[in-house]
Amino acid sequence: MGAEQPWPGTVAFLDGTQWWEPVASAGVSPVVVADIAAAARERAGRTFRTAAVRRERVVVARPEALAAAGAAIEGWETIALPVDEPPHPVGDLFLARAAVERRRSQLEREVGRAYRAGSDGWLVVDGSLTGSPDWAGDRRMVGVIKSHASLPFAGEALEAYLRLPHRTRSSVFQPASRARAPVHSWALRLWPWEGKDLLYGLVRVEVAPTDDPTGRADEISRWLLAERAPVSTPDARWDRLLYGIHDVERFLRSER
Amino acid sequence: MPDIIGRVVATELKPSTPHQFYFWTARQSAVGIGAIVRVEGDDRVVWGVVTDAFAYSDLVTPLHDVIGADGDPARTGLAPSERPEIRLWQAAVLRQQPEEPLQPVPLGQVHLATDADVVAALRMDAFTTGDAPTGVPVGVYTAAGLEAPVFLDADFLLGPEAAHLNITGVSGLATKTSAVEFLLSSIFQKFPAHKGSVAAVCFNVKGPDLCFLDQPAELAEADRRLYARLDLAPRPFDDVTVYAPYKADGVNLNTLRTNEALAARTEPLVWGLREVLDYAEVLLNKDDIDAKADAFIDFLAERVVGREFEDRQLRDRPFLVNTFADLEEFFRAIFDYVEALGRAEVWRTHHIATIRKVRNRLGNISTRAKGLVTDDGAASDLPWGRFRDRSTLVVDVAGVDPLAQDLVFARVVSKLREHLERRDLGVDHVVVFVDELNKYAPGDGPDTYVRKMLLDLSERGRYLGLVLFSAQQFRSQVQRRVVGNAGTAVYGRMDSDELSMPAYSTLSPAVKSKLAALPKGELMLRHPHFTQPIFVRFPRPAVLSGRDGVERFPPEPDLPFADAVARQLKALDRSVARDAVAELVHGRREEDVRRAVHATRRARPDNAFAYFKAQLGAWVEREAPAPRRGLSPVKGGSDPYA
Repeated sequence: MGAEQPWPGTVAFLDGTQWWEPVASAGVSPVVVADIAAAARERAGRTFRTAAVRRERVVVARPEALAAAGAAIEGWETIALPVDEPPHPVGDLFLARAAVERRRSQLEREVGRAYRAGSDGWLVVDGSLTGSPDWAGDRRMVGVIKSHASLPFAGEALEAYLRLPHRTRSSVFQPASRARAPVHSWALRLWPWEGKDLLYGLVRVEVAPTDDPTGRADEISRWLLAERAPVSTPDARWDRLLYGIHDVERFLRSER
Repeated sequence: MPDIIGRVVATELKPSTPHQFYFWTARQSAVGIGAIVRVEGDDRVVWGVVTDAFAYSDLVTPLHDVIGADGDPARTGLAPSERPEIRLWQAAVLRQQPEEPLQPVPLGQVHLATDADVVAALRMDAFTTGDAPTGVPVGVYTAAGLEAPVFLDADFLLGPEAAHLNITGVSGLATKTSAVEFLLSSIFQKFPAHKGSVAAVCFNVKGPDLCFLDQPAELAEADRRLYARLDLAPRPFDDVTVYAPYKADGVNLNTLRTNEALAARTEPLVWGLREVLDYAEVLLNKDDIDAKADAFIDFLAERVVGREFEDRQLRDRPFLVNTFADLEEFFRAIFDYVEALGRAEVWRTHHIATIRKVRNRLGNISTRAKGLVTDDGAASDLPWGRFRDRSTLVVDVAGVDPLAQDLVFARVVSKLREHLERRDLGVDHVVVFVDELNKYAPGDGPDTYVRKMLLDLSERGRYLGLVLFSAQQFRSQVQRRVVGNAGTAVYGRMDSDELSMPAYSTLSPAVKSKLAALPKGELMLRHPHFTQPIFVRFPRPAVLSGRDGVERFPPEPDLPFADAVARQLKALDRSVARDAVAELVHGRREEDVRRAVHATRRARPDNAFAYFKAQLGAWVEREAPAPRRGLSPVKGGSDPYA
């Protein structure tokens, strides 16, 4: 894989945030207010600047609650909850949260498109590329996944995957579970895990499929290793959170 | 809006208040400690001066930097991303508009001050405009390429609203002396006509510091630009006279300004018994001060000195005490009389010990200040009643005994006060400049006459137009009321030990840090109109510094008696020939010659030599008395012892 190398040329980082809170109830169904945002921050020299940003304040509720709110929510975006099921204070809250997260993903894709429209620099996304066929096919996008809720292997292969030594990567594979948009993926150990849990410092990387998956994986892994510094403390996920993504999150939170 | 350089921020821990606020800027901002900024927001304009600065990144602990660099310091600069770094500034409010209601500084945009902002922030609009402006330029505020003139209010510098100026700073940079010289020049050029006339009396207490105020200095282009910015002419003082006592020989002046080229504006300072006796209290130390000594001195002053005093018990003919020699003769007569009485210890209710003490003290000054005090009774003094507008009188006491310095301070300041009270000095205001205040008005130590006099001057002088400009190295060690009464305080480069004193606790660490490294030519200024200290730059004074003056006008070596007399006469009349003077004084008593020289200097005749010769009188050949012829013994007769 070789030693770490600085990212060549222009690179931007993309992430989104959401903040949501139930503020009222219409009958037993909650009315949720959410602040959703996404941004791409491009690194020029060694500092970041905002290249694209979208922000929305939305009200999420059942259609009758939105109608009842009337002028009180004038000027706000609205998301109507499905009415397949009868109103339920907990169930509707889950639905609202899911709606907010979908909206956030949508904003992230809009920001990605906006950035890509004005730049051919690399774009590193916090999360998977497979949610968008455009992203999954973009040769200059990299998805970095911090969570490992679903693991690609089992048995000895999984153990080898999870016990990767520091500064090494796994072999390249094509995740099967996200068939919507095929990508190439591999695991990369950013920080030594010995003495900690197996997932410490472990990220999964996604890129668009290429003819030279190994070479591309080595190249991008070297670049990502160089992104370990500066560390993104005080975020508790700093062992897997790239500083560029951390910077986008902080920017979005400061604007809220 | 390109001139926006920052934005006010406030948090619960660092809130905006009516007197203080915080703002951030880009890292490349020209803002620095002492910069004046303008904040606009909420229909309010606030001017503030930067008093402290902070910078930090998002790094929570240094350990995280170590981790990010894998423990290798060489890698710390290689990270692809740079942590964001904030430049956070703390500013103290100078002024708000509207003034009422007084409110916290709004969270508005921050701009660097313009010339107009400096005027408004320092409230100079109140005294630099209108029908009767009273602004006196003191320097330029410099920040971010701006050079905005800063003015002091003459009403608050020379009275009557407030008065006095104190300047403090480390020795050796010449900043204190230079600042006073520049400010005096500025006062002389810009003191408004409607406020009357002004003169300066400067005590030179160190080397040649103030000896060449009438000589021009070569100025750099940067200094000339500052003069132009302040609308001042870079020129030396027009009307300067340096007064200096003689050395012990009574003919060579005790000053470093003895170069012949400057002799015309260098005058001797000589006092007689009368002048000394009026300020005899100066000569008494704390142990001496008692009602008895005072009473006897008063007796001498009112009944004896300068008039006929008759006491048949002492001698048949009256005493006429005009000189120290006369006084000694008077004392001798008293002691002889008392001794003749045997066990008597009192003369005219005065105890003999008191009389001896006063005699010793007065005798002491005539010995320790031999060149200042003349025995012939005739004084050469400052031109009391004839002070000229914009004139500078330098009293050079650098080379005289400390006791004599005290006497000079006391008498000159007291006389200034007397004349200003009577409004007959010749000018309406006098600036008295005293350096080394640590020595003359210390915070601790004995309560000397000079310290009391300086305190009185600082507390009551402004009503009379008598203004004290004082300087010292350690402000914290000066009598608090003397410096506390100074309406304007100036600080040059400061010693860090001095800055750690409680008196400077109101200054931020950053301001202290700036003061500790202040370059020559920059000052921090407090003035009644300025709600916060302001940093200013002033040009080099257009007068020759003491060091340069001594190089350009080397002091004349002490001359033999006859040559020194000739030089003094030549200063009055260029036609006086050295050889003629030498021939004339040959064989004469030196005190007679000195008396004639002093008389000639006072009279300033057209023909100095002729006048001097007349004063000296005709030469009377000394005659050796013929030995007495004794009586011849009687020879023969019946004398059995013959």
